[in-house]
Amino acid sequence: MIDVPLPTIRHNGPRPFPPRVSRFTRPFWTALEQGFLTAPKCQACGRLRFPPRPLCPACWSEDHVWIVLRPHGRLYSFTRIHVAPRALDGDLPYAIGIVDLDDGVRLLCRLVNQATFADIGREVETVVLQYDDGPLFAARLI
Amino acid sequence: MAAQVVREAATMAGVSRPDIDAVVVAHPGDHTRQGYFHTFLCSSLGIAAKGNVIQVLGNGMTGGHAFDQAVQLIESGRAECVLAVGVHFESGIPTAQHLDYSIRLTGDVDFQSIFGPVPISWYAMDAHRYMFEYDVPRDTTAVVAVKNREHARFNPLAQFRDPLTLDAVLSARPIVEPLGLFEVPARSDGAVALIVSTEARAKLTGQPYARIRGRGFDHEGIHQIADVPTSALDYSALTRAAHRALTTAGTELADISTFQLYAPCTIVEILATEALGLFARGSGAAAAANDATSIGGRYPVNTCGGCLSRGHPPEVSPLYDVVEACSQILGRAERRQVEGARLAMCVSELGKYNAALVHILEAHS
Repeated sequence: MIDVPLPTIRHNGPRPFPPRVSRFTRPFWTALEQGFLTAPKCQACGRLRFPPRPLCPACWSEDHVWIVLRPHGRLYSFTRIHVAPRALDGDLPYAIGIVDLDDGVRLLCRLVNQATFADIGREVETVVLQYDDGPLFAARLI
Repeated sequence: MAAQVVREAATMAGVSRPDIDAVVVAHPGDHTRQGYFHTFLCSSLGIAAKGNVIQVLGNGMTGGHAFDQAVQLIESGRAECVLAVGVHFESGIPTAQHLDYSIRLTGDVDFQSIFGPVPISWYAMDAHRYMFEYDVPRDTTAVVAVKNREHARFNPLAQFRDPLTLDAVLSARPIVEPLGLFEVPARSDGAVALIVSTEARAKLTGQPYARIRGRGFDHEGIHQIADVPTSALDYSALTRAAHRALTTAGTELADISTFQLYAPCTIVEILATEALGLFARGSGAAAAANDATSIGGRYPVNTCGGCLSRGHPPEVSPLYDVVEACSQILGRAERRQVEGARLAMCVSELGKYNAALVHILEAHS
């Protein structure tokens, strides 16, 4: 049982490219608001899936529970982006990375550090970016 | 632009307007103001068709699908003479506006696009991982941009034909690190029209023609990256699709004279050559640096200059690759001719090579 919320980094203003919140994904965003990164775990075959989807891609079962993911993982790769969509122009340049969490989930997210090539393969932890209109998840190098 | 290339292609193929009994159009993307472009184009050209009129869409594979659908219309007997056409007018809107649209294509809109992963950023992360995993310096991967520019110098259709040095590639401003300006595609406009017909009809023209000898497809069932830790560099869909194409063609990799690979960035060409089995994992960049993929090398790749120098109007690029493959095997490639070319492989992809479509073309004269 993970009951310690993730570190939160406060950002002024709204999220530049906010996600939609559906009936299915609402538990994810509600949990993230409270500091917990979660993923649906299939009750039929036990597989975790990310991004969250209503059906398990391995067995097509809908039965699932939301599991709190442990924050620790490794940086598989990253890039720093210098040409952006209009909505994200104010963030330039910004870094995104592929993070492999210890729970066996791979995800894409922002990196809050100025990562360098030497950081590939290094340990990271997930954090919450709290904007005026809601949260996003991110990773930072430990 | 589209109407002009259609007329030119029909003239080259010895085909007149009433001969065309099906039309397949590569979806022209969000830059084109005219919707339902395929029926609009048929109306503009006065083409009445009994086989089919269809617009196809499949990410970077869109042009490949247009060609593939044309081939399937012939194979099924529903048509005898198909027009496959693509037109792309990317300069119609600014880059940032285009990216508003394209980040919704390559990322999950609620859990990935929210972070701003522009399409080429996924390849950039492949580049970083490749350099890390195989201890390959960036200048070795960047050589691919120089090689492709050398090829483009002799391609009158190419967007960029001025010489390009490795220093210029390495010192260019970063776009998606580690890739700089010359390691990613420029924005391009373009149009291609192909005539695909039955062999009986092709013979009637009395001109040399290309036959489609093999075809393979594979989709690995994920989009961009898997949701579990696994190699993002193996491009395994291409390995399987190429194997299927070679099997249906009854030939081997060693017999292929030239490879036209959909490769928007330097790293993509490197990983694709490794997935094809031309080079061992981790050695594709060094092979390119040693001229193995240059014209005159063991496996000439992207003899037209590829996406980086020929230009990359994404929905049209795979159709350009068929044009180049035909030019090579029919001996019309002039100063970029691969000597004795008889078999050519064309590859298009979608996602991050999550799927690959492979055709093998053969000269018949």
